[in-house]
Amino acid sequence: MFRVVLYAQWKWSRLVVTLGTIAAFILPALSVQGASRDVGSPLKAGELLSLVQSWGVLYPVLAAALGLLVAIATWAPDHRGRHVHALSLPLPRWRYVLLRFGAGVVLLAAPAVALLAGAVLATHLAAIPPGLEGYPVALTIRFALAVLVAYAVFFAISAGTTRTAGAILTVIGGLILVQVLASAADVHLDLLTPVQSILLNWPGPLAIFTGRWMLIDV
Amino acid sequence: MSRRALNLFFMAALVLPRALVGQHADLVRTRADSLLREWQQASVLAAVQDSLRHAADIAGRDTVRAGALTILVNPSPLPIAPAAAKAWSEIEQFFGPAAQWLARQPLVIQALDPDTTVPANPGDALQIYWDLNQRELTRVLLGFADLSGADPAVRDWLGGPVLPGLDSDQRRAQVYVALVTAPSQAVRRCFADDRAACRDALSLGPTTSDLLTRWYGPDERRDLATLRYAGFLDKGVRAREFRSCAAGSDSACLDLLESLPPGSLERPLDYAARFSLLETAVALGGTRTFERLFATAPGPMGARLAAAAQVSEDSLLARWRSDVVTARPKPVPIPPWAIWVALGWTVAFMTCGLGSSRWRVS
Repeated sequence: MFRVVLYAQWKWSRLVVTLGTIAAFILPALSVQGASRDVGSPLKAGELLSLVQSWGVLYPVLAAALGLLVAIATWAPDHRGRHVHALSLPLPRWRYVLLRFGAGVVLLAAPAVALLAGAVLATHLAAIPPGLEGYPVALTIRFALAVLVAYAVFFAISAGTTRTAGAILTVIGGLILVQVLASAADVHLDLLTPVQSILLNWPGPLAIFTGRWMLIDV
Repeated sequence: MSRRALNLFFMAALVLPRALVGQHADLVRTRADSLLREWQQASVLAAVQDSLRHAADIAGRDTVRAGALTILVNPSPLPIAPAAAKAWSEIEQFFGPAAQWLARQPLVIQALDPDTTVPANPGDALQIYWDLNQRELTRVLLGFADLSGADPAVRDWLGGPVLPGLDSDQRRAQVYVALVTAPSQAVRRCFADDRAACRDALSLGPTTSDLLTRWYGPDERRDLATLRYAGFLDKGVRAREFRSCAAGSDSACLDLLESLPPGSLERPLDYAARFSLLETAVALGGTRTFERLFATAPGPMGARLAAAAQVSEDSLLARWRSDVVTARPKPVPIPPWAIWVALGWTVAFMTCGLGSSRWRVS
Protein backbone atom coordinates (compact mmCIF):
# COMPACT_ATOMS: atom_id res chain seq x y z
CA MET A 1 0.00 0.00 0.00
CA PHE A 2 2.82 2.39 0.95
CA ARG A 3 4.54 1.82 -2.40
CA VAL A 4 1.36 2.73 -4.25
CA VAL A 5 0.88 5.90 -2.21
CA LEU A 6 4.57 6.74 -2.64
CA TYR A 7 4.38 6.25 -6.41
CA ALA A 8 1.25 8.37 -6.68
CA GLN A 9 2.82 11.10 -4.63
CA TRP A 10 6.03 10.97 -6.68
CA LYS A 11 3.97 11.50 -9.82
CA TRP A 12 2.29 14.56 -8.30
CA SER A 13 5.38 16.15 -6.83
CA ARG A 14 8.27 14.95 -9.00
CA LEU A 15 8.87 18.36 -10.56
CA VAL A 16 9.14 20.03 -7.16
CA VAL A 17 11.32 17.26 -5.72
CA THR A 18 13.64 17.15 -8.75
CA LEU A 19 14.13 20.92 -8.86
CA GLY A 20 14.57 21.02 -5.08
CA THR A 21 17.18 18.24 -5.25
CA ILE A 22 19.15 20.05 -7.95
CA ALA A 23 18.95 23.32 -6.01
CA ALA A 24 20.08 21.61 -2.80
CA PHE A 25 23.06 20.08 -4.60
CA ILE A 26 24.31 23.26 -6.27
CA LEU A 27 23.62 25.69 -3.41
CA PRO A 28 26.74 24.73 -1.34
CA ALA A 29 28.96 25.00 -4.43
CA LEU A 30 27.55 28.45 -5.18
CA SER A 31 28.12 29.56 -1.60
CA VAL A 32 31.87 28.91 -1.80
CA GLN A 33 32.46 30.23 -5.32
CA GLY A 34 35.64 32.29 -5.35
CA ALA A 35 37.18 30.12 -2.64
CA SER A 36 38.08 27.29 -4.98
CA ARG A 37 41.64 25.93 -4.74
CA ASP A 38 42.44 26.68 -8.39
CA VAL A 39 41.59 30.40 -8.15
CA GLY A 40 44.71 32.62 -8.20
CA SER A 41 43.91 34.64 -5.08
CA PRO A 42 41.35 32.78 -2.99
CA LEU A 43 39.04 34.73 -0.71
CA LYS A 44 40.28 35.84 2.70
CA ALA A 45 38.60 34.45 5.82
CA GLY A 46 36.32 37.43 6.39
CA GLU A 47 35.25 37.64 2.75
CA LEU A 48 34.58 33.90 2.59
CA LEU A 49 32.45 34.03 5.75
CA SER A 50 30.42 36.96 4.38
CA LEU A 51 29.86 35.12 1.12
CA VAL A 52 28.84 31.87 2.84
CA GLN A 53 26.56 33.80 5.18
CA SER A 54 24.79 35.63 2.36
CA TRP A 55 24.15 32.40 0.48
CA GLY A 56 23.15 30.74 3.77
CA VAL A 57 19.86 32.65 3.73
CA LEU A 58 18.73 30.42 0.88
CA TYR A 59 18.92 27.13 2.86
CA PRO A 60 15.92 27.84 5.14
CA VAL A 61 14.07 29.39 2.19
CA LEU A 62 14.63 26.23 0.15
CA ALA A 63 13.60 24.03 3.11
CA ALA A 64 10.38 26.00 3.65
CA ALA A 65 9.57 26.05 -0.07
CA LEU A 66 10.11 22.29 -0.39
CA GLY A 67 7.96 21.58 2.68
CA LEU A 68 5.18 23.84 1.41
CA LEU A 69 5.11 22.61 -2.19
CA VAL A 70 5.36 18.91 -1.38
CA ALA A 71 2.63 19.25 1.31
CA ILE A 72 0.35 21.02 -1.17
CA ALA A 73 1.11 18.42 -3.85
CA THR A 74 0.34 15.67 -1.33
CA TRP A 75 -3.24 16.79 -0.70
CA ALA A 76 -4.18 18.65 -3.88
CA PRO A 77 -5.43 15.58 -5.85
CA ASP A 78 -7.47 14.41 -2.83
CA HIS A 79 -9.05 17.85 -2.49
CA ARG A 80 -9.83 17.94 -6.22
CA GLY A 81 -11.45 14.50 -6.09
CA ARG A 82 -13.38 15.44 -2.93
CA HIS A 83 -11.61 12.57 -1.11
CA VAL A 84 -13.75 9.97 -2.86
CA HIS A 85 -10.72 7.80 -3.65
CA ALA A 86 -9.45 7.92 -0.07
CA LEU A 87 -12.87 7.14 1.36
CA SER A 88 -13.27 4.19 -1.01
CA LEU A 89 -10.09 2.54 0.34
CA PRO A 90 -10.43 -0.09 3.08
CA LEU A 91 -8.25 1.97 5.39
CA PRO A 92 -8.90 3.92 8.56
CA ARG A 93 -8.38 7.63 8.10
CA TRP A 94 -5.39 7.89 10.45
CA ARG A 95 -3.55 5.19 8.52
CA TYR A 96 -4.17 6.88 5.18
CA VAL A 97 -2.87 10.18 6.56
CA LEU A 98 0.21 8.45 7.96
CA LEU A 99 0.89 6.84 4.58
CA ARG A 100 0.61 10.20 2.86
CA PHE A 101 2.89 11.83 5.43
CA GLY A 102 5.44 9.02 5.25
CA ALA A 103 5.53 9.12 1.46
CA GLY A 104 6.18 12.87 1.57
CA VAL A 105 9.01 12.38 4.06
CA VAL A 106 10.62 9.73 1.84
CA LEU A 107 10.43 12.04 -1.19
CA LEU A 108 11.93 14.91 0.80
CA ALA A 109 14.92 12.77 1.74
CA ALA A 110 16.26 13.25 -1.79
CA PRO A 111 16.98 17.00 -1.44
CA ALA A 112 18.60 16.37 1.97
CA VAL A 113 20.90 13.71 0.52
CA ALA A 114 21.70 16.00 -2.42
CA LEU A 115 22.58 18.80 -0.01
CA LEU A 116 24.93 16.49 1.90
CA ALA A 117 26.66 15.44 -1.33
CA GLY A 118 26.91 19.04 -2.57
CA ALA A 119 28.16 20.33 0.78
CA VAL A 120 30.84 17.64 1.14
CA LEU A 121 32.01 18.31 -2.41
CA ALA A 122 32.03 22.10 -1.93
CA THR A 123 34.01 21.99 1.32
CA HIS A 124 36.48 19.57 -0.26
CA LEU A 125 37.03 21.81 -3.28
CA ALA A 126 37.22 25.10 -1.39
CA ALA A 127 40.49 26.55 -0.08
CA ILE A 128 39.43 27.10 3.53
CA PRO A 129 41.67 29.63 5.38
CA PRO A 130 43.20 28.65 8.75
CA GLY A 131 40.76 29.04 11.62
CA LEU A 132 37.73 28.16 9.49
CA GLU A 133 36.17 24.73 9.02
CA GLY A 134 33.49 23.14 6.88
CA TYR A 135 30.36 21.73 8.51
CA PRO A 136 28.54 19.78 5.79
CA VAL A 137 26.95 17.20 8.10
CA ALA A 138 25.68 19.70 10.67
CA LEU A 139 24.24 21.85 7.90
CA THR A 140 22.51 18.86 6.31
CA ILE A 141 20.99 17.72 9.62
CA ARG A 142 19.65 21.18 10.15
CA PHE A 143 18.30 21.39 6.61
CA ALA A 144 16.62 17.98 6.92
CA LEU A 145 14.94 18.97 10.18
CA ALA A 146 13.79 22.29 8.73
CA VAL A 147 12.31 20.52 5.69
CA LEU A 148 10.56 18.06 7.99
CA VAL A 149 9.07 20.76 10.23
CA ALA A 150 7.97 22.87 7.25
CA TYR A 151 6.41 19.82 5.61
CA ALA A 152 4.57 18.87 8.84
CA VAL A 153 3.22 22.42 9.31
CA PHE A 154 1.95 22.74 5.74
CA PHE A 155 0.77 19.11 5.73
CA ALA A 156 -1.46 19.86 8.74
CA ILE A 157 -2.76 23.07 7.15
CA SER A 158 -3.37 21.37 3.76
CA ALA A 159 -5.15 18.47 5.43
CA GLY A 160 -7.58 20.83 7.10
CA THR A 161 -10.68 22.45 5.71
CA THR A 162 -10.95 25.92 4.26
CA ARG A 163 -12.63 26.88 7.51
CA THR A 164 -9.53 25.81 9.50
CA ALA A 165 -7.24 27.75 7.19
CA GLY A 166 -9.60 30.72 7.50
CA ALA A 167 -9.52 30.50 11.30
CA ILE A 168 -5.71 30.47 11.32
CA LEU A 169 -5.56 33.44 8.95
CA THR A 170 -8.17 35.31 11.02
CA VAL A 171 -6.10 34.87 14.20
CA ILE A 172 -2.92 36.10 12.45
CA GLY A 173 -4.77 38.99 10.76
CA GLY A 174 -6.47 39.92 14.05
CA LEU A 175 -3.12 40.13 15.85
CA ILE A 176 -1.66 42.35 13.13
CA LEU A 177 -4.78 44.55 13.10
CA VAL A 178 -4.71 45.06 16.88
CA GLN A 179 -1.00 45.87 16.69
CA VAL A 180 -1.55 48.42 13.90
CA LEU A 181 -4.45 50.06 15.78
CA ALA A 182 -2.39 50.20 18.98
CA SER A 183 0.50 51.81 17.13
CA ALA A 184 -1.86 54.31 15.48
CA ALA A 185 -3.29 55.24 18.89
CA ASP A 186 0.28 55.55 20.24
CA VAL A 187 -0.46 52.90 22.86
CA HIS A 188 2.57 51.03 24.11
CA LEU A 189 1.33 47.54 23.22
CA ASP A 190 3.54 44.95 21.59
CA LEU A 191 1.73 41.76 20.64
CA LEU A 192 3.83 40.61 17.73
CA THR A 193 7.22 40.50 19.47
CA PRO A 194 6.15 37.92 22.12
CA VAL A 195 4.44 35.82 19.42
CA GLN A 196 7.50 36.07 17.23
CA SER A 197 9.82 35.09 20.07
CA ILE A 198 7.60 32.11 20.98
CA LEU A 199 7.64 30.88 17.40
CA LEU A 200 11.24 31.67 16.48
CA ASN A 201 13.18 30.99 19.71
CA TRP A 202 13.91 27.54 21.07
CA PRO A 203 11.88 25.48 21.78
CA GLY A 204 9.51 27.20 19.32
CA PRO A 205 8.39 25.31 16.21
CA LEU A 206 10.15 27.60 13.73
CA ALA A 207 13.39 28.03 15.70
CA ILE A 208 15.12 25.55 13.41
CA PHE A 209 14.85 28.11 10.59
CA THR A 210 16.55 30.93 12.49
CA GLY A 211 20.22 31.67 13.12
CA ARG A 212 23.14 31.47 10.75
CA TRP A 213 23.21 28.72 8.16
CA MET A 214 26.93 28.38 7.57
CA LEU A 215 28.56 25.71 5.49
CA ILE A 216 31.95 27.12 6.49
CA ASP A 217 32.43 28.84 9.82
CA VAL A 218 34.95 29.45 12.59
CA MET B 1 59.53 123.46 -2.77
CA SER B 2 62.04 125.05 -0.36
CA ARG B 3 64.19 123.02 1.97
CA ARG B 4 62.28 124.40 4.98
CA ALA B 5 58.97 123.32 3.51
CA LEU B 6 60.36 119.86 2.83
CA ASN B 7 61.52 119.55 6.47
CA LEU B 8 58.07 120.58 7.69
CA PHE B 9 56.47 118.02 5.44
CA PHE B 10 58.71 115.23 6.76
CA MET B 11 58.10 116.29 10.37
CA ALA B 12 54.35 116.22 9.79
CA ALA B 13 54.60 112.83 8.10
CA LEU B 14 56.45 111.44 11.12
CA VAL B 15 54.26 112.95 13.86
CA LEU B 16 50.74 112.80 12.44
CA PRO B 17 50.53 109.04 11.76
CA ARG B 18 51.79 108.34 15.29
CA ALA B 19 48.92 110.38 16.65
CA LEU B 20 46.50 108.59 14.37
CA VAL B 21 47.90 105.18 15.37
CA GLY B 22 47.56 106.10 19.03
CA GLN B 23 43.99 107.17 18.45
CA HIS B 24 43.26 103.90 16.57
CA ALA B 25 44.83 101.68 19.30
CA ASP B 26 42.79 103.40 22.00
CA LEU B 27 39.64 102.85 20.02
CA VAL B 28 40.41 99.18 19.52
CA ARG B 29 41.28 98.75 23.20
CA THR B 30 38.01 100.40 24.21
CA ARG B 31 36.09 98.16 21.86
CA ALA B 32 37.94 95.07 23.10
CA ASP B 33 37.19 96.02 26.71
CA SER B 34 33.58 96.50 25.81
CA LEU B 35 33.47 93.13 24.08
CA LEU B 36 35.13 91.52 27.09
CA ARG B 37 32.51 93.01 29.38
CA GLU B 38 29.77 91.77 27.06
CA TRP B 39 31.32 88.32 26.94
CA GLN B 40 31.67 88.17 30.72
CA GLN B 41 28.06 89.25 31.11
CA ALA B 42 26.93 86.61 28.57
CA SER B 43 28.97 83.96 30.37
CA VAL B 44 27.37 84.84 33.69
CA LEU B 45 23.92 84.69 32.09
CA ALA B 46 24.72 81.33 30.44
CA ALA B 47 25.99 79.95 33.76
CA VAL B 48 22.82 81.14 35.49
CA GLN B 49 20.72 79.59 32.74
CA ASP B 50 22.67 76.32 33.00
CA SER B 51 22.34 76.21 36.74
CA LEU B 52 18.61 77.01 36.50
CA ARG B 53 18.21 74.25 33.91
CA HIS B 54 20.18 71.86 36.09
CA ALA B 55 18.12 72.89 39.11
CA ALA B 56 14.97 72.28 37.07
CA ASP B 57 16.40 68.91 35.99
CA ILE B 58 16.96 67.75 39.54
CA ALA B 59 14.08 69.59 41.20
CA GLY B 60 11.46 67.34 42.74
CA ARG B 61 13.54 64.19 42.23
CA ASP B 62 14.22 61.42 44.69
CA THR B 63 17.83 60.57 45.42
CA VAL B 64 18.62 56.88 45.23
CA ARG B 65 22.03 55.76 46.45
CA ALA B 66 23.64 52.38 46.04
CA GLY B 67 27.28 52.44 47.00
CA ALA B 68 28.89 55.29 45.07
CA LEU B 69 26.07 55.23 42.54
CA THR B 70 23.88 58.30 43.00
CA ILE B 71 20.71 58.52 40.97
CA LEU B 72 18.29 61.44 40.89
CA VAL B 73 14.95 60.28 39.56
CA ASN B 74 11.42 61.63 39.45
CA PRO B 75 8.75 59.62 41.35
CA SER B 76 7.57 56.70 39.16
CA PRO B 77 6.90 52.93 39.29
CA LEU B 78 10.42 52.34 37.92
CA PRO B 79 12.14 49.72 40.17
CA ILE B 80 15.12 52.05 40.55
CA ALA B 81 16.28 51.08 44.05
CA PRO B 82 16.61 47.30 43.47
CA ALA B 83 18.06 47.89 40.00
CA ALA B 84 20.62 50.34 41.41
CA ALA B 85 21.55 47.87 44.16
CA LYS B 86 22.03 45.08 41.62
CA ALA B 87 23.96 47.38 39.27
CA TRP B 88 26.20 48.55 42.10
CA SER B 89 27.05 44.99 43.12
CA GLU B 90 28.14 44.29 39.52
CA ILE B 91 30.01 47.59 39.27
CA GLU B 92 31.83 47.01 42.55
CA GLN B 93 32.65 43.44 41.61
CA PHE B 94 34.26 44.59 38.35
CA PHE B 95 35.85 47.91 39.28
CA GLY B 96 36.55 47.22 42.95
CA PRO B 97 37.44 50.25 45.08
CA ALA B 98 38.00 52.31 41.90
CA ALA B 99 34.22 52.35 41.48
CA GLN B 100 34.06 55.08 44.16
CA TRP B 101 35.03 57.47 41.37
CA LEU B 102 31.44 57.19 40.12
CA ALA B 103 30.29 59.25 43.14
CA ARG B 104 31.47 62.28 41.15
CA GLN B 105 28.95 61.61 38.42
CA PRO B 106 25.36 61.50 39.71
CA LEU B 107 22.96 60.13 37.11
CA VAL B 108 19.77 62.12 36.49
CA ILE B 109 16.87 60.01 35.22
CA GLN B 110 13.56 61.21 33.89
CA ALA B 111 11.12 58.29 34.11
CA LEU B 112 8.44 58.60 31.43
CA ASP B 113 4.94 57.18 31.18
CA PRO B 114 5.08 54.70 28.27
CA ASP B 115 1.47 55.39 27.32
CA THR B 116 1.66 59.16 27.25
CA THR B 117 1.63 61.17 24.07
CA VAL B 118 2.90 64.30 25.83
CA PRO B 119 6.43 65.09 24.64
CA ALA B 120 9.13 64.86 27.32
CA ASN B 121 10.78 68.01 28.66
CA PRO B 122 14.14 68.61 27.04
CA GLY B 123 17.01 68.43 29.48
CA ASP B 124 20.16 66.56 30.34
CA ALA B 125 18.31 63.80 32.16
CA LEU B 126 18.37 60.25 30.85
CA GLN B 127 14.83 59.50 29.71
CA ILE B 128 13.52 56.01 30.45
CA TYR B 129 10.01 54.52 30.16
CA TRP B 130 8.86 53.39 33.57
CA ASP B 131 7.61 50.00 32.36
CA LEU B 132 11.20 48.77 32.15
CA ASN B 133 11.71 45.71 34.32
CA GLN B 134 14.45 45.48 36.92
CA ARG B 135 16.79 43.45 34.72
CA GLU B 136 16.56 45.87 31.79
CA LEU B 137 16.95 48.86 34.09
CA THR B 138 20.04 47.29 35.69
CA ARG B 139 21.61 46.96 32.26
CA VAL B 140 20.81 50.60 31.49
CA LEU B 141 22.44 51.71 34.74
CA LEU B 142 25.50 49.56 34.03
CA GLY B 143 25.75 51.20 30.63
CA PHE B 144 26.22 54.56 32.32
CA ALA B 145 28.80 53.42 34.88
CA ASP B 146 31.63 54.73 32.73
CA LEU B 147 34.95 55.06 34.52
CA SER B 148 36.86 56.41 31.53
CA GLY B 149 37.01 59.89 33.07
CA ALA B 150 39.28 58.47 35.76
CA ASP B 151 41.98 57.67 33.20
CA PRO B 152 41.56 59.05 29.67
CA ALA B 153 44.62 57.05 28.50
CA VAL B 154 42.74 53.80 29.17
CA ARG B 155 39.73 55.11 27.27
CA ASP B 156 41.91 56.15 24.33
CA TRP B 157 43.58 52.74 24.24
CA LEU B 158 40.23 50.94 24.46
CA GLY B 159 38.60 53.22 21.91
CA GLY B 160 35.44 53.47 23.99
CA PRO B 161 33.97 53.70 27.47
CA VAL B 162 35.30 51.80 30.49
CA LEU B 163 32.15 49.96 31.58
CA PRO B 164 31.57 46.97 33.84
CA GLY B 165 32.03 43.76 31.83
CA LEU B 166 28.74 42.26 30.64
CA ASP B 167 28.24 39.33 28.26
CA SER B 168 31.90 38.37 28.54
CA ASP B 169 31.49 34.97 26.84
CA GLN B 170 29.67 36.56 23.92
CA ARG B 171 32.38 39.19 23.60
CA ARG B 172 35.17 36.60 23.67
CA ALA B 173 33.36 34.61 20.96
CA GLN B 174 33.22 37.82 18.94
CA VAL B 175 36.96 38.31 19.50
CA TYR B 176 37.61 34.75 18.32
CA VAL B 177 35.85 35.56 15.05
CA ALA B 178 37.91 38.76 14.79
CA LEU B 179 41.13 36.80 15.34
CA VAL B 180 40.24 34.48 12.48
CA THR B 181 38.83 37.01 10.05
CA ALA B 182 40.53 40.39 10.65
CA PRO B 183 42.47 41.42 7.52
CA SER B 184 45.72 41.92 9.41
CA GLN B 185 48.92 39.88 9.47
CA ALA B 186 49.46 40.77 13.14
CA VAL B 187 46.06 39.33 14.06
CA ARG B 188 46.63 36.17 12.04
CA ARG B 189 49.98 35.62 13.74
CA CYS B 190 48.38 36.36 17.11
CA PHE B 191 45.81 33.64 16.39
CA ALA B 192 48.74 31.32 15.68
CA ASP B 193 50.04 32.11 19.21
CA ASP B 194 52.68 34.71 18.37
CA ARG B 195 52.64 36.87 21.51
CA ALA B 196 54.65 39.71 19.96
CA ALA B 197 52.04 39.92 17.21
CA CYS B 198 49.24 40.00 19.83
CA ARG B 199 51.10 42.85 21.53
CA ASP B 200 51.24 44.73 18.23
CA ALA B 201 47.62 44.04 17.30
CA LEU B 202 46.40 45.19 20.71
CA SER B 203 48.71 48.27 20.73
CA LEU B 204 50.28 47.23 24.02
CA GLY B 205 53.79 48.45 23.30
CA PRO B 206 55.12 51.96 22.82
CA THR B 207 53.87 53.75 19.71
CA THR B 208 56.48 53.38 16.98
CA SER B 209 56.61 54.56 13.41
CA ASP B 210 56.61 51.04 11.97
CA LEU B 211 53.31 50.03 13.58
CA LEU B 212 51.56 50.27 10.22
CA THR B 213 53.86 47.70 8.63
CA ARG B 214 53.62 45.45 11.66
CA TRP B 215 49.82 45.60 11.66
CA TYR B 216 49.20 45.14 7.96
CA GLY B 217 50.99 43.29 5.14
CA PRO B 218 51.40 44.78 1.63
CA ASP B 219 48.11 43.36 0.27
CA GLU B 220 46.24 44.48 3.34
CA ARG B 221 47.75 47.96 3.10
CA ARG B 222 46.67 48.19 -0.53
CA ASP B 223 43.14 47.05 0.36
CA LEU B 224 42.98 49.57 3.18
CA ALA B 225 44.17 52.47 1.01
CA THR B 226 42.20 51.63 -2.11
CA LEU B 227 38.99 50.30 -0.56
CA ARG B 228 38.51 51.45 3.02
CA TYR B 229 39.95 54.94 2.70
CA ALA B 230 39.38 55.44 -1.04
CA GLY B 231 36.90 58.28 -0.50
CA PHE B 232 39.47 60.23 1.50
CA LEU B 233 42.64 59.37 -0.39
CA ASP B 234 41.53 59.26 -4.01
CA LYS B 235 41.36 63.01 -4.55
CA GLY B 236 43.42 66.16 -4.82
CA VAL B 237 47.18 65.89 -4.55
CA ARG B 238 47.01 62.26 -3.47
CA ALA B 239 45.11 61.02 -6.54
CA ARG B 240 48.28 60.18 -8.45
CA GLU B 241 49.78 58.29 -5.51
CA PHE B 242 46.43 56.53 -5.05
CA ARG B 243 46.54 55.24 -8.62
CA SER B 244 50.12 54.13 -8.09
CA CYS B 245 49.07 52.25 -4.92
CA ALA B 246 46.16 50.62 -6.74
CA ALA B 247 48.61 49.54 -9.46
CA GLY B 248 50.69 47.70 -6.84
CA SER B 249 53.23 50.19 -5.46
CA ASP B 250 53.58 49.38 -1.76
CA SER B 251 55.58 52.53 -1.01
CA ALA B 252 52.73 54.62 -2.44
CA CYS B 253 50.23 52.72 -0.24
CA LEU B 254 52.44 53.30 2.80
CA ASP B 255 52.73 57.02 2.04
CA LEU B 256 48.98 57.27 1.61
CA LEU B 257 48.19 55.48 4.85
CA GLU B 258 50.80 57.48 6.74
CA SER B 259 49.18 60.68 5.47
CA LEU B 260 45.95 59.81 7.30
CA PRO B 261 45.19 61.98 10.34
CA PRO B 262 46.65 60.51 13.57
CA GLY B 263 44.40 57.91 15.14
CA SER B 264 42.19 57.47 12.11
CA LEU B 265 43.87 54.31 10.81
CA GLU B 266 41.72 51.30 11.59
CA ARG B 267 43.14 49.24 14.45
CA PRO B 268 43.36 45.53 13.69
CA LEU B 269 41.78 44.51 17.01
CA ASP B 270 39.07 46.85 18.17
CA TYR B 271 37.20 47.68 21.36
CA ALA B 272 35.83 44.17 22.00
CA ALA B 273 39.29 42.58 21.88
CA ARG B 274 40.87 45.26 24.05
CA PHE B 275 38.02 45.14 26.54
CA SER B 276 38.31 41.37 26.75
CA LEU B 277 41.99 41.83 27.63
CA LEU B 278 40.95 44.26 30.36
CA GLU B 279 38.51 41.62 31.65
CA THR B 280 41.29 39.04 31.69
CA ALA B 281 43.44 41.46 33.69
CA VAL B 282 40.58 41.89 36.18
CA ALA B 283 40.11 38.11 36.37
CA LEU B 284 43.81 37.71 37.18
CA GLY B 285 44.32 40.77 39.35
CA GLY B 286 41.15 40.67 41.39
CA THR B 287 38.99 43.54 42.57
CA ARG B 288 41.85 46.01 43.05
CA THR B 289 42.96 45.77 39.41
CA PHE B 290 41.46 49.10 38.35
CA GLU B 291 42.80 50.85 41.43
CA ARG B 292 46.32 49.64 40.52
CA LEU B 293 45.79 50.40 36.82
CA PHE B 294 44.82 54.01 37.47
CA ALA B 295 47.76 54.36 39.87
CA THR B 296 50.36 53.17 37.34
CA ALA B 297 52.51 55.76 35.61
CA PRO B 298 51.53 56.75 32.05
CA GLY B 299 53.21 54.55 29.45
CA PRO B 300 52.66 51.53 27.24
CA MET B 301 49.33 49.92 28.09
CA GLY B 302 50.74 46.38 28.11
CA ALA B 303 53.04 47.11 31.03
CA ARG B 304 50.29 49.00 32.86
CA LEU B 305 47.78 46.17 32.47
CA ALA B 306 50.35 43.58 33.50
CA ALA B 307 51.23 45.60 36.61
CA ALA B 308 47.54 45.99 37.44
CA ALA B 309 46.94 42.25 36.99
CA GLN B 310 50.14 41.48 38.94
CA VAL B 311 51.42 39.08 36.28
CA SER B 312 53.91 39.41 33.45
CA GLU B 313 52.70 40.86 30.16
CA ASP B 314 53.38 37.52 28.48
CA SER B 315 51.25 35.61 31.02
CA LEU B 316 48.45 38.13 30.66
CA LEU B 317 48.45 37.71 26.88
CA ALA B 318 48.68 33.92 27.13
CA ARG B 319 45.67 33.79 29.45
CA TRP B 320 43.71 36.21 27.23
CA ARG B 321 44.38 34.16 24.11
CA SER B 322 43.50 30.94 25.88
CA ASP B 323 40.18 32.47 27.10
CA VAL B 324 39.37 33.66 23.59
CA VAL B 325 40.20 30.36 21.93
CA THR B 326 38.09 28.51 24.53
CA ALA B 327 35.16 30.81 23.74
CA ARG B 328 35.11 29.71 20.09
CA PRO B 329 31.50 30.19 18.96
CA LYS B 330 29.41 27.18 18.04
CA PRO B 331 29.37 27.07 14.25
CA VAL B 332 25.88 25.65 13.70
CA PRO B 333 23.94 26.91 16.67
CA ILE B 334 21.63 23.96 17.29
CA PRO B 335 21.74 22.37 20.72
CA PRO B 336 21.60 18.53 20.64
CA TRP B 337 18.15 18.50 22.23
CA ALA B 338 16.92 20.77 19.42
CA ILE B 339 16.81 17.73 17.13
CA TRP B 340 14.28 16.12 19.45
CA VAL B 341 12.34 19.36 19.74
CA ALA B 342 12.12 19.64 15.94
CA LEU B 343 11.02 16.02 15.65
CA GLY B 344 8.50 16.64 18.43
CA TRP B 345 7.00 19.57 16.53
CA THR B 346 6.89 17.43 13.38
CA VAL B 347 4.90 14.74 15.22
CA ALA B 348 2.67 17.41 16.78
CA PHE B 349 1.81 18.95 13.41
CA MET B 350 1.36 15.54 11.82
CA THR B 351 -1.11 14.71 14.62
CA CYS B 352 -2.98 17.91 13.74
CA GLY B 353 -3.17 16.51 10.20
CA LEU B 354 -4.53 13.24 11.54
CA GLY B 355 -7.28 15.10 13.32
CA SER B 356 -8.28 16.94 10.19
CA SER B 357 -11.98 17.68 9.87
CA ARG B 358 -11.98 16.88 6.14
CA TRP B 359 -13.41 13.42 6.51
CA ARG B 360 -15.68 14.13 9.40
CA VAL B 361 -19.09 12.67 8.64
CA SER B 362 -21.71 15.31 9.24
